[in-house]
Amino acid sequence: MFGRITYMELKAGWKGLLIFGILILVVSASMVQLFPVFRDSLTEELEGANKVNLELPNEQGGNITLSWEPLENATSYMVLEDTRVSMVTAKIAYSGEETSITFEKDFEEKRYYAVMAVIDETSDPVLIGIATTEEGADPFKELLENPVYSGFTGGRNISMLEVKGFVTLEFFSWWWMLAGLFIAYLSVSVIANDFENKRMDVMLSTPISRRRYLLEKFGAMSIIALLMILVAIVGLAGGLASIDALSEFSAAAAALSLIGCLPFLMVIAAVGMLTAVLFQKVRTGMGVTFAFVFTEFFLYTFGGFSKSLEWLKTISIFNYWDYSSVIIDDLFKSGDFVILTVLAIVLVVIGVWVFEKKDIPT
Amino acid sequence: MVQEKVIVMENLTKMYGNHVGVKDLNLSVNKGEIMGFLGPNGAGKTTTIRTCLALISKTAGEITIFGLDSHKDAVAIRKKIGYLPGDFGLIPSVKVKSYLKYLLSLRECNSTKKMVTLAERLELDLDRKTHELSKGNKLKVGIVQALMADQELIIMDEPSGLDPLVQQEFYRILHEEKKQGKTIFISSHNLAEVESVCDRVAIIRKGQLVVVEDIRVLREKTGKVLEVEFSDSVNIAELKLEGVSEIHQDNGRFILTVHENLDGVIGAVSSHRILNMTLKTYSLEQLFLKYYAEAENRKRGGK
Repeated sequence: MFGRITYMELKAGWKGLLIFGILILVVSASMVQLFPVFRDSLTEELEGANKVNLELPNEQGGNITLSWEPLENATSYMVLEDTRVSMVTAKIAYSGEETSITFEKDFEEKRYYAVMAVIDETSDPVLIGIATTEEGADPFKELLENPVYSGFTGGRNISMLEVKGFVTLEFFSWWWMLAGLFIAYLSVSVIANDFENKRMDVMLSTPISRRRYLLEKFGAMSIIALLMILVAIVGLAGGLASIDALSEFSAAAAALSLIGCLPFLMVIAAVGMLTAVLFQKVRTGMGVTFAFVFTEFFLYTFGGFSKSLEWLKTISIFNYWDYSSVIIDDLFKSGDFVILTVLAIVLVVIGVWVFEKKDIPT
Repeated sequence: MVQEKVIVMENLTKMYGNHVGVKDLNLSVNKGEIMGFLGPNGAGKTTTIRTCLALISKTAGEITIFGLDSHKDAVAIRKKIGYLPGDFGLIPSVKVKSYLKYLLSLRECNSTKKMVTLAERLELDLDRKTHELSKGNKLKVGIVQALMADQELIIMDEPSGLDPLVQQEFYRILHEEKKQGKTIFISSHNLAEVESVCDRVAIIRKGQLVVVEDIRVLREKTGKVLEVEFSDSVNIAELKLEGVSEIHQDNGRFILTVHENLDGVIGAVSSHRILNMTLKTYSLEQLFLKYYAEAENRKRGGK
């Protein structure tokens, strides 16, 4: 009867799975608890942005006046100037004890000014606020929309002040790593361990074909992935309910955004099993599978850095699990779900083919 | 009478790159016999067995088991095979009983009766955890799983390392299996170990078959080695008896090769005061030398 090996796999490893399940439940539920705390501290920081005032000249070539509220314990102030909100290429425009500076507007492009207070020589300067030369623009909002963040959100503008934005950026960025690497580890070891511990000879002396063996192990991996997702849904929805945020972020959105992860995890499991039958060693298989997961992640991140690199995203599995689409646009991309499912099936078929070709080592 | 053949290997060759695993092996195992597969370590016994089970591919040649192709029909063949690998691991942290039941279920066998009986006879505690087992007990688990589903063909790769009493019980079990019509193919690097249980032996060395011989013929050809030490002085001429082919004297020790008339020889020896006496089977190396010498003589004679 099909399912014996799957069942044995779950039975033999239930203790580890239970501990991991509890970990997922606790982390996903408590992660949401951090949101109110985070929101309050962010709001406080945003208010700081209003403490910097920038007056634009009326005519071309006039003077800009940048002023800020003095900070009691500041010994001096520092103004950084950059054309990017991320301030990664900033130059020091001013350093001194004044709280207001005036300079000529001899440029056309949009520039950003970050004002910092220097407390003493030993500690880092404190950010007072950011101002920009474009009227009506909100530099802090722009900062949040920066590709460095939006890489995680499919290029959407989302605010960390909303529970949706917080969960999208904070919860899912660790979830994929925890669940993805766990399933990578598990899928390699359930097969490579049978090689290394010399269990394959007895297993394959029973009327179990190599194909069935692999399919049953894949079945076990899929069930474990589904269970992890279900536990995370319960944790996430429970966490949202506990901070009264279900009206903003529904349990259905939590469920759908995580369900999209199932074929994503199945692809990782299929890669893990493929490397296990190919190398027949836990260490090698694990190394290659982990490298695969991280490569896919970097492809997706690099793809978000510029328009010309966007094609990199299309070859990353991360592109086909768009949780922010569910959370922010209320749209579950079933096409992506199918693409990843098909990819997982193709990888399993390749795995079976490789397994049937190779000798079982002694 | 034409014997029904369960395993037929024809020109079986398995290469590991440039290294020879087995080469041009022609061997068949008859239904209802116990065949010993002898050879020193690294001779190709395990390679042959694992090729039969399609655990490894073959480079050339054919293997037919129950009339089916060993590799194309591997799953169908495995329904009738019980196999004890030379080296194997168990699923850790489960009871022996549940591990064996699991393997039974993979063989689609529902009866645990034989499993329980075998475990009792081999003194294996089914309630122990798999990772707590000693080497000998692990081997017992392997033997039980190979036999418990009442398979028609039993293949065992070097089942040695049991306590002598349990080993005897194990051989009795094999005899009973044979009486029920089972075919048993058992490998070993020790002739004495399988001598008492086998009907025929095939001897392999360096990947090539040396000889296939009926165990009685083999015994007659090789004889036994009798080592005696006397406390009184014995003339070597006194020991030149009927059935003794060779005598060596090593200080007070005499080494006799006895082919027949064993009781006559023992009788003659016992008329003296014996300090020590052992009766041994020919060692595998001695066997090789003998069969090689024979083959060389035949070659020369043919020319």
